[in-house]
Amino acid sequence: MLSRVVLASAGALKTSAPITASFLPVSKSFHISCQSWTPVPPLPEEGGKVRHGLFPEEFFQFLYPKTGVTGPYMFGLGLSTYLLSKEIYVINHETFSAISIGIVILYAVKKFGKNVAEFADKLNEAKVQKAQEVKDLAMSSLQEAIEAEKKEQWRTEGRVHLFDAKRNNVAMILETNYRERLHMVYNEVKKRLDYQVGLQHLQRRLAQEHMVNWVEKSVIQSITPQQEKESIAKCISDLKGLAKTAQAKV
Amino acid sequence: MSGRRVAMKAVDWLAFGERVPPNQRAMFNALKTRSDALSSRLTSLSEKPPSIDWVYYRKVVMKAGMVDEFEKKYNAVTIPEPIDTQVEKINAQEQEADKSAKSYIQASKDRISKYEKELTKFKNMIPFDQMTIEDLNDAFPETKLDKEKYPFWPHKPISEL
Repeated sequence: MLSRVVLASAGALKTSAPITASFLPVSKSFHISCQSWTPVPPLPEEGGKVRHGLFPEEFFQFLYPKTGVTGPYMFGLGLSTYLLSKEIYVINHETFSAISIGIVILYAVKKFGKNVAEFADKLNEAKVQKAQEVKDLAMSSLQEAIEAEKKEQWRTEGRVHLFDAKRNNVAMILETNYRERLHMVYNEVKKRLDYQVGLQHLQRRLAQEHMVNWVEKSVIQSITPQQEKESIAKCISDLKGLAKTAQAKV
Repeated sequence: MSGRRVAMKAVDWLAFGERVPPNQRAMFNALKTRSDALSSRLTSLSEKPPSIDWVYYRKVVMKAGMVDEFEKKYNAVTIPEPIDTQVEKINAQEQEADKSAKSYIQASKDRISKYEKELTKFKNMIPFDQMTIEDLNDAFPETKLDKEKYPFWPHKPISEL
């Protein structure tokens, strides 16, 4: 990771004509003959293994075949004895301040190291998350746009039905019109014929009634007063006879 | 287009209704109600009027020859069929609609191909945790910092931080 940063900054400095304080865009200017554009492999999750926070594990593995487990520690002891005894490393005030600062730093890293690392990771995670969301949103909206376009294309098929419906409407109107005309003719003719029939019936009825009235009137006129008295007397005697029989019944 | 029995194609209102976009629903409903009203009016009228009973009238009506005259004229009358003025216009409209629909579909297909190209670009992108800043600028050109316009860090106006 560090090498990539170095690469970036070095490349930038190389390509800028007047060397400014800013970093210019990266270009892969080292190893030009065997460059490849394959993407850089992802960063490993863990860093290299170290023992006691300082010494790489490879050193211990390197010495293991020859000197076993205690070899590197003996090497360290011997080296430090040599440095101290020959006064290549001089003990002075700085040594004690270095020791105390070292203790404090060790304590701080042991206690807060994990939290700080998590916090930094979270920040990075948030950036990546945001970019990922943008990408997902773009992809989903593109999908939806494609779906919508396809749906609209499907919708245009409906125009066939529209024009069929229009033509049907026109045909229906024409047909209705024609039938109405037929019916109108029939109704008019029937009306006239029925009028004649009704007229005749009326005339016949009037003639009948007139004749009946006339006959009645003439009959009444022909009744003489003599006949009238006789008929009234007969009616009275009939009534008496009826009254007797009715009384007997009761 | 003359001819009494213009063949009426059965309109599939269900399929038609499915394809109507929501902003044209009202027009579709108006068309449907109009069509239904027309068809109901059509079915309410019988195809031929009932025939007149000439024998009965000849017996009853006493005016000489009136019934015969009526019968002769009634059978002789021919009703002209209504002339169709609208079908040509409708056919012309249909042609135009077909043309515009075709061009719309073409434009839509172009849009779809454009969208699909962008979609493949997104699909083939390398995952973010394997990208460098270069790769990010290639994939999303808007993230590229304009170092000529803003030569000093942060290479963009402060309001955009």
